[in-house]
Amino acid sequence: MKNLNFSPLKKLEIILGGEHRSFATDLLDRAGVKGYTIVNNLSGKGSHGFHEGHLMFNEDDVLIMIIAAVPEDLVKPILQGFAPFYNEHSGVVFISDIQVTRLVKFSG
Amino acid sequence: MSIPSGQNLRIRSMVYVAGEPVPFFWPMRSFIHHNPLHGFEHLPFEQAVEKGAKLFHARGFLPRRASQRYLADGQVDTETLRTAVQRFVTSQGVSLPLDLVAWLTTELTRQADPVITPLSIADSSLVYAQLHGLEAEVPTLSTERLAAELEQCLLSERPLYEAYDDLFGTTIASDLDEQVIRACLDFFDEGQSVWRMPNREEGFYRAWLAVAGSTVHRTLAELTRDEGQEGPLEPERVIALVLDRLEVPEDQWVACMTRELTRLHGWAGFIRWRSNATDYHWQRRYPGDLVDYLAVRLLLALTLLQQHSKRRHPYSVKALREAIAADPYGLYLRLELNRKDCLAPLAREIEQTLGRGKRDEIERLFHRYRARKGRVEAQRQAERLTALADRLDDRAGLLGLSPEELTQLLELLRALDRKEGMLWLTSMEAKAIARLVDGLSLLPPPPRDKRPFAEALFCIDTRSERIRRHLESVGDYNTYGIAGFFGVPVSFMELGKGSENHLCPVLLTPKNLVVEMSSIGVQDAAALTALEKAMHELKESVLTPFVTVEAIGLLFGFDMIGKTLLPTTYNRWRAHLHEHKPSTHLVLDKLDRDQADSIVRAVQRAVIVKAVEQEFELQPEAITDSMVKELREAALGHQSGCPEFQARLGLDDERLERFVDRLRTAYRINPAFAQLQMERLGRIGFSLEEQTRFVTQALKSIGLVSDFSRFVLLVGHGSTSENNPYESALDCGACGGAHGLVSARVLAQMANKPEVRRRLREGGIDIPDDAWFVPALHNTTTDEITLHDLELLPPSHLVYLDRLRDGLNAASRLCAQERLPSLLGEDKVLKPAAAFRNAQRNAMDWSQVRPEWGLSRNAYFVIGRRSLTQSKKLEGRAFLHSYDYRVDPKRRLLENILTGPLVVGQWINMEHYFSTVDNEKFGSGSKVYHNVAGRFGVLSGNLSDLRTGLPAQTVLDHGHPYHQPMRLITVIEAPLAHARQAIDNVVAVKRLVHNGWIRLLIVDPEAAVIVQYEDGQWITRDFVEADAATDTLSQEALSA
Repeated sequence: MKNLNFSPLKKLEIILGGEHRSFATDLLDRAGVKGYTIVNNLSGKGSHGFHEGHLMFNEDDVLIMIIAAVPEDLVKPILQGFAPFYNEHSGVVFISDIQVTRLVKFSG
Repeated sequence: MSIPSGQNLRIRSMVYVAGEPVPFFWPMRSFIHHNPLHGFEHLPFEQAVEKGAKLFHARGFLPRRASQRYLADGQVDTETLRTAVQRFVTSQGVSLPLDLVAWLTTELTRQADPVITPLSIADSSLVYAQLHGLEAEVPTLSTERLAAELEQCLLSERPLYEAYDDLFGTTIASDLDEQVIRACLDFFDEGQSVWRMPNREEGFYRAWLAVAGSTVHRTLAELTRDEGQEGPLEPERVIALVLDRLEVPEDQWVACMTRELTRLHGWAGFIRWRSNATDYHWQRRYPGDLVDYLAVRLLLALTLLQQHSKRRHPYSVKALREAIAADPYGLYLRLELNRKDCLAPLAREIEQTLGRGKRDEIERLFHRYRARKGRVEAQRQAERLTALADRLDDRAGLLGLSPEELTQLLELLRALDRKEGMLWLTSMEAKAIARLVDGLSLLPPPPRDKRPFAEALFCIDTRSERIRRHLESVGDYNTYGIAGFFGVPVSFMELGKGSENHLCPVLLTPKNLVVEMSSIGVQDAAALTALEKAMHELKESVLTPFVTVEAIGLLFGFDMIGKTLLPTTYNRWRAHLHEHKPSTHLVLDKLDRDQADSIVRAVQRAVIVKAVEQEFELQPEAITDSMVKELREAALGHQSGCPEFQARLGLDDERLERFVDRLRTAYRINPAFAQLQMERLGRIGFSLEEQTRFVTQALKSIGLVSDFSRFVLLVGHGSTSENNPYESALDCGACGGAHGLVSARVLAQMANKPEVRRRLREGGIDIPDDAWFVPALHNTTTDEITLHDLELLPPSHLVYLDRLRDGLNAASRLCAQERLPSLLGEDKVLKPAAAFRNAQRNAMDWSQVRPEWGLSRNAYFVIGRRSLTQSKKLEGRAFLHSYDYRVDPKRRLLENILTGPLVVGQWINMEHYFSTVDNEKFGSGSKVYHNVAGRFGVLSGNLSDLRTGLPAQTVLDHGHPYHQPMRLITVIEAPLAHARQAIDNVVAVKRLVHNGWIRLLIVDPEAAVIVQYEDGQWITRDFVEADAATDTLSQEALSA
């Protein structure tokens, strides 16, 4: 473990309705984000009450989370991009500091 | 990597939000019913209709005359209407010396048109003076107030060019629409147009810009002068620059974009859908989205405005505001001059006075014009009021009102005008609810001593109700209702088709792929997997490698290969394959790793052979297996050099290396792509667990868990009509607008599998060995039901087949007999055989604009046991989803029915609702004027917005509504707490119920009560058991 190099990045956790998934991923792609993970069918409680995550017959009405690790200089443009969307829709974006060992996977 | 512009991403996000009120438009090959106001479902129905009507310049409720026809037909609950009027009067807090309920009821039910007329200048005191024959002055208007009114009229909630047109009599708005439509037709064409727009791969905005005229380029050059950017601007930036140039404040950008998008909401809706459909072939090939569309639209708008104004007239927000402040009287008269209701005797004078441009002269004319127009308005309003009073025989009452009281009356009538649509709607729904509830049966079906002869699962589609009822009447049949994809979301690859087709509601994306294979011509059945069989068999045909690639390669995104190789041959071959379709079977089981691996290798070999043939003009027989092998190994990086191939073609090392490299890049023979191919093959079929789960879920969701018959029919449905772009609208909505047969075949194949049955038995569902699931297709145009995959039927069942067919035929004929009179518009009763023949003719008639009524007149959605409504003739107006709460203690099955089938039902219902109340705006008008555009939609005439919604022939009959526009009346049969908990758990459905998009009733068989959700409350209804009630629905309908 001696040779590991840690590099700092920012982790974005973007929670939004399933029907907006391709909008969000398109925005991330255009921002130059190299990859992301999507967690479907979230359960949880927010300002609109409790969301059940088990629905089988309607993927639009479940909440999803998109997790992306990005260099710090991308955070602001991405948040700027999402701002008009979150003016109209429920959901949140969490930003946290993380470290990765293989920086090349996350930045160009 | 350069940092992306946050501003561009922001514009993109704004456009996304601005586009949300615009309903999706799916290509008509797979017509998807949807709520045109889906973007407003977060609002209460009434508010949403108001907003939507404003945005789309449409009507949200039936016109009064149509409602009055329903009233005369006995389709409106008069008691509900009266109570609603009473409640309305109370809510307004108005007290006048008139019988207001009588006044308003008369206004609604006996006056053909609303009594209220627009009063832009006159006020109620002027109307009072007119009523009493008094002289009165038109109210004066301060310059500030006039300016404020003008700003409101010109600068809020409309595009600037519309205001410009209104002021200066230009036609920029329609010219702009026309140019945008032409651009869309050129770019989005899917092979219909003779001329192909060049550079479409670069996206809509760029491709359009490349062919745009010089004036557009001048506008762009002027816009970008200060940008200092190298190369062309991104469309996001263009949007921002144009809005800046027009001086639209940034907080209004989203609203401004929405207005631009709704002007041609058909095109915008198509582009919005298309850019979201990332696997849509044409989108991948020629990308285009709403950002492109808006950039095109706004740039053209600015160009036209500049052209017309030639810097003389103001066209930006700021310039218009300054012009209003500088010359309010002149601008007012200009506006009036271009209005339809301009006072004709003064029009010429206005024109001349404006031409002379003398301020004092203009001001004097302004005052004179207003005085005169005010009096005209007041006179018209007074006449209408008098007519209403005369109808009530209460002119004295009207004339006895003080000026203040008259003001209140006018305000009340104006408020009624806004509320009227809801009053009629709820009263009509009340009648429909009463008819459904009367005669419902809460008693469980009587116990049986033997199982039924056959069970049949039909789609919940309203057209199944009739055929189910008739089938039950001709023999020992139990029928069930289930969403027509039978709960199995399938991505289907039809034999010879170039793409996957999603057979499930559009709310879902299928994870499993089902491939259709030819069943004939396979030599050595035991030795080969199904896919390998297909490859071997296809290799025998003329265009070997193509066919191989085509058959399986669709998995591999092989349209690219078609393009790289020979597009014409490829397309010709495709067309050829459709001519004679052999009998087929479906590949439902997952492949194991070895099978998948061998398929990938076989396809790679086929591609290499074709590549060699193409690049070196070598005949196929000259290409040996060992050459192919070494090329493949080299391309995959497993070996270097290809001695045999090199020697045979006499290539030097460099040439060989170039070719191998080309194999890797152009022909995608490389490890990464092979891995992707393996992943894609992994999508084929269902694991045993999945198959068991889907069968269990389908059976449990409809409450069929015991007493399985010898035949369990899975009846999908579809329609047949000729020369009908709307054919898909008549197919199965639950199957994504396709025929339902494949879904039926899929579930039948799963349910007949011994291993699945064994697992089901372990889970408590014991299907006897002699029960056989048979897929079938109900043709809703002809009412025929055909059985499929009969070659798989166990021999023991053959002796019963005739009886089954006889039963189905009898049901078909009776169904046609019931249905045909409404289609022929004749009262006479046809004999079953004649009706059946007539229906078949409709399906084949090229000139038939209405092959069937489809889902028109849908009104109810019933979730419960068949016995609940079995004694009622629901006239093909009800979606029936079988459900037995007793097998669903955790409510999961009910939640699934609510979230999927009910939501789809609501879309269908709302599509019909809005297409009926305003067929020109929300519907697509008459089919007679339709022309197919770009192979995905229709236009009216040669150039129009893409027509969305349903055509007049589907929802209107001789210009009057055939579909009765009401919100979906939904019934859930379950204990109250059980049903309410399920609704609360499904946020989307809870919202629809609470916001009044569906009318919900819960029938609780255990407490023997019916409760209805009404204005935020659960209200218990009186209930009469079926045995005691007559079948009022069918009786009243017949007498009507």
